Amino acid sequence: MAREVFFPRVTILGVPIHAMLVPFPIACFTGAMLTDITYSNSPQVQWANFSQWLLAVGLIMGVLAAIFGLIDFLAAGRARPRIGWFHLAGNAVILILALFNNLVHARDGWTGVVPTGLTLSVITFLLMLVTGFLGWRMAYVHVGEPA
Amino acid sequence: MTLRAFLAGAAMTLALAACSHNPPSPDNQYGANPPLPDPIQYLFPPMGIAKPVGWASGQTPTVPAGFTITPFATDLKTPRRVLPLPNGDVLVAESDDPGYEPTLRPKDVVFGLVIGQAHGPTKAANDVLLLRDTNGDGKADQKIVLISGLNSPFGMAVSGGKLYVAETDAIKVWDFTPGQTSVTGPPRLLTELPGGPIDHHWTKDIVISPDGTKLYAGVGSNSNIVERGLEAEKGRARILEVELPSGASRPFATGLRNPNGLTFNPDTGQLWAVVNERDEIGQNLVPDYLTSVKDGAFYGWPWSYYGAHVDIRVRPTRTDKVKAAIPPDYSLSSHVAPLGLAFAPASWPANYAKGAFIGEHGSWDRNVFNGYEVSFVPFAGGKPSGPKQHFLTGFVKDGKARGRPVGVGFGPDNALYVADDVGNVVWRIAPAAAPRT
Repeated sequence: MAREVFFPRVTILGVPIHAMLVPFPIACFTGAMLTDITYSNSPQVQWANFSQWLLAVGLIMGVLAAIFGLIDFLAAGRARPRIGWFHLAGNAVILILALFNNLVHARDGWTGVVPTGLTLSVITFLLMLVTGFLGWRMAYVHVGEPA
Repeated sequence: MTLRAFLAGAAMTLALAACSHNPPSPDNQYGANPPLPDPIQYLFPPMGIAKPVGWASGQTPTVPAGFTITPFATDLKTPRRVLPLPNGDVLVAESDDPGYEPTLRPKDVVFGLVIGQAHGPTKAANDVLLLRDTNGDGKADQKIVLISGLNSPFGMAVSGGKLYVAETDAIKVWDFTPGQTSVTGPPRLLTELPGGPIDHHWTKDIVISPDGTKLYAGVGSNSNIVERGLEAEKGRARILEVELPSGASRPFATGLRNPNGLTFNPDTGQLWAVVNERDEIGQNLVPDYLTSVKDGAFYGWPWSYYGAHVDIRVRPTRTDKVKAAIPPDYSLSSHVAPLGLAFAPASWPANYAKGAFIGEHGSWDRNVFNGYEVSFVPFAGGKPSGPKQHFLTGFVKDGKARGRPVGVGFGPDNALYVADDVGNVVWRIAPAAAPRT
């Protein structure tokens, strides 16, 4: 039996699909926090509308990224890095928060953003700092690591 | 806001959403001082859509004892407003949403799919029909297209040898005297009205003052609660007074979210209207209402409802506007969607004479249907004098809409005409002949 090595299995010409998808939720949810902050400072509806699209696209792309990430992670067998579990759990929380945040933002007017929507967007961003770091650590430190 | 406060708020929202499945009966919300529950901020606003199925042959809505109902005209194309004329002809505006409203948010996509289920397959004609019953059997035997190719027509009025039709973006005038079966020549533009590019509430209802010198036009808001921005609401949510024949206009009353059924009370000469209030803050909030319309009055939209009840969804806040807002006269209960109003003649049975009949198109923002009927509010001395009653019912059966009432109007034949835009029928309701003794 070949030695088990941690490496993403679902790839296109060697590039992991998960890695290609994760920038979307990261950029979208970060953008949603920024447009939420802008809206809370000046109630121009275009900012709230931006937030809604960013949250919707972020959630869809986030779920896709999660599916490929999960396949890579489960397929890694004994070579699975332990911090991957924390990356997985944190991102699951982020996607659940994003689902709620989409529903909150669907409210008409000011309360679609302030205070609950904005709060969820900030919490999402802070969680992403942690899960993102764990993800990059897997990509740059653990990839190629033998079990 | 601390995390704990946020979590507590989120838990409460979920709890409230969970117990919203059984809204209290709306029946205690009739009248001058309806109970107004605290607003709820939903994750999933309650919805209940009645799928349109239409009437099977021979089926009719249900009238109280002592009345007869017949289909005056069937196979129409989305009839919205009826205007019985002094000679017995009935004008009908057949129309639909002009479709100007753009998709701005993911929510618009989802709502479009959900609310779209409430619409029947019939494509509106966007015309004004003339219906004539030549043999007096209570059924129209002539159906004449009086004016076609209109832009979402709704309100109609006939006065001084003219026919006024309110399209969604303009009021136009044709030479027309009751008895004629055609209009001649191109129309004159009386005045433009706020129409596209959004035109969320597109129905423009009109009425002419009893002395024939002024026309009043309802202009609904461009949103539920300014989610399209305050700029989109310029010139909206109001009733305009338009001088005849010049067409010069001024705001007559403002803060009326979506006023329809503009009608003068024949006893007092006062202007009345029914108004659709805001959605998505409760199954029993905010009640739609019937009100006399006072010159210069402000009725709260968007900043507040029923006087000083502030709507927290509106920014920037305006305490001066909230202070200025006056409460309407009479709550019809929440989300009934009143679109038509007519006062019964004195010749109607004593229980109903001079009272208000209201076409209630029916709710979508509740789990349990409300409206979907022609209701009745008794009047004494030109003022509401008792609780609302269910008059013409049976529009919803087994959760499906056989019909939905819109415009109502009394003819010179002592009959009440009701436009049904899902059944595609104009119903004729008349007091049964007194039994022979």
